[in-house]
Amino acid sequence: MSPFLWLWWRGYVTVCLRGAGIERVLNSAAQAGVAVLKVERLTSDVVLARMAAQDFRRLRPLIREWMNGPRVSVSILDRHGLPFLLRRFRRRAFLALGLGLAALAVIYLSSFVWFIQVFGNETLAVEVIKAAVEKTGLRAGVPRGAVDARRIEQQLLEDLPQLTWVQLRNQGIKVEIHVREREAPELAAQGAGHIYAKRDGLVTELLVLRGTAQVREGDTVRRDELLISGMYYDPQGRRQFGAAQGIVKARVWYQAVGEASLVRWQPEKTGVRHRQYILTVGPLSIPLGRSYPRENHLITTRNWQLYLGRAMAPVSWSRLDYEEVEWVLVPVARWEAEKAAYELAWESLIRQGVDRESVVAETKAVEYVTDGEGIRVTLQVEVLEDIGHFSGQ
Amino acid sequence: MGPAVSRNLKRRFAQALDVPPNVVLDQAEIHILGDGEVQISNHKGLVQYTTAMVKLRSVEGFIEVSGSELEIAAFSAQEIKIRGRIRQVVLR
Repeated sequence: MSPFLWLWWRGYVTVCLRGAGIERVLNSAAQAGVAVLKVERLTSDVVLARMAAQDFRRLRPLIREWMNGPRVSVSILDRHGLPFLLRRFRRRAFLALGLGLAALAVIYLSSFVWFIQVFGNETLAVEVIKAAVEKTGLRAGVPRGAVDARRIEQQLLEDLPQLTWVQLRNQGIKVEIHVREREAPELAAQGAGHIYAKRDGLVTELLVLRGTAQVREGDTVRRDELLISGMYYDPQGRRQFGAAQGIVKARVWYQAVGEASLVRWQPEKTGVRHRQYILTVGPLSIPLGRSYPRENHLITTRNWQLYLGRAMAPVSWSRLDYEEVEWVLVPVARWEAEKAAYELAWESLIRQGVDRESVVAETKAVEYVTDGEGIRVTLQVEVLEDIGHFSGQ
Repeated sequence: MGPAVSRNLKRRFAQALDVPPNVVLDQAEIHILGDGEVQISNHKGLVQYTTAMVKLRSVEGFIEVSGSELEIAAFSAQEIKIRGRIRQVVLR
């Protein structure tokens, strides 16, 4: 046990020594058999020192001597340690009882699983995995000791054939389920069929691997128009019908519109602040203090999580700081609104399947919307892409 | 017999019997831990303490530990532990 911890166990006092010749005082205390710890000089005539409370009592006769001799005044600044803590609790028996019960409750609650988290899923929804997990008997509130990781992993692999690997990691009151999904199976060999245009465009490049080309470079094609037919003649001159294969690159045009407002609602702080605390024990949240509407308050949250060693205990403490705001209408610069509308138009193009990198030409038209409070950007881009789409018979 | 003669005799005695000299001669023992801690056993009292210097009395003379932000971590009749940024330890 470190000397300071031992001192805390015995109870110690922080003593303020004030005056000249403090060194002599420390020497005479040491000669009297008193160990002094953590001596700090604050100013030229003030020194703080720590010593066991019992030792301080033994020093009383010496202190009287010091007061007369080297003119050093001694006063107790603070009392620390277990005996003082116990004395304080003796006066507040119910507080001590409450703390003891709370500690027992925390220890008891930490022997259950309260949170289940899924990691690693890409296409399979978390809800689907959680439903399968629940079927295995693992749910919030089950004892940690009852979680049979191997059995659950095995059952999950059987119930969800999309998974190739499952691992359960027990992190105190939280169970993490790490999964790996099966790669999508390769498409079955294609049967006979033709290649059609999936959108309008101007053909720039044509490469036929199997079949007969129905268009030429420079042709304008419409959506669903036949590009490469699966009918062809083999080297022996026999007519065949197979799966058409080839690449048909074309210039394709996409158009999208984005709109942005020239005014914006902005929160302005009124200076009124409120604070609320929330104690969370397992699934139970106990708010201390009233809450305020989010519409006219900015909320900053700070969380403190209780840990028992490395394990996360099911108790957390949150502090919510509310700042009252008033929403005011402020104008937005034209360039800023135009940029926002432009980005919105681009988002729409990306949703249509346009790859930003493959754009060969772009035209932009900007106009004000009729009520004058907004701006509209119409974006037209030209992309070079493979428009062929195979359709089996 | 003067104190110097007595000390000389004690030193010879210690050498002859292969006894650690600090035990026989009541010498101070100084341990320096990096530049953050100095521990001195067998000192003969604190002479001066500031945040820049701690001066102690020993059988041989004075021991001065100088540096910055010095603090006496522990002090008893036999031992003193000084913490802070230690720059030098001088025997005078």
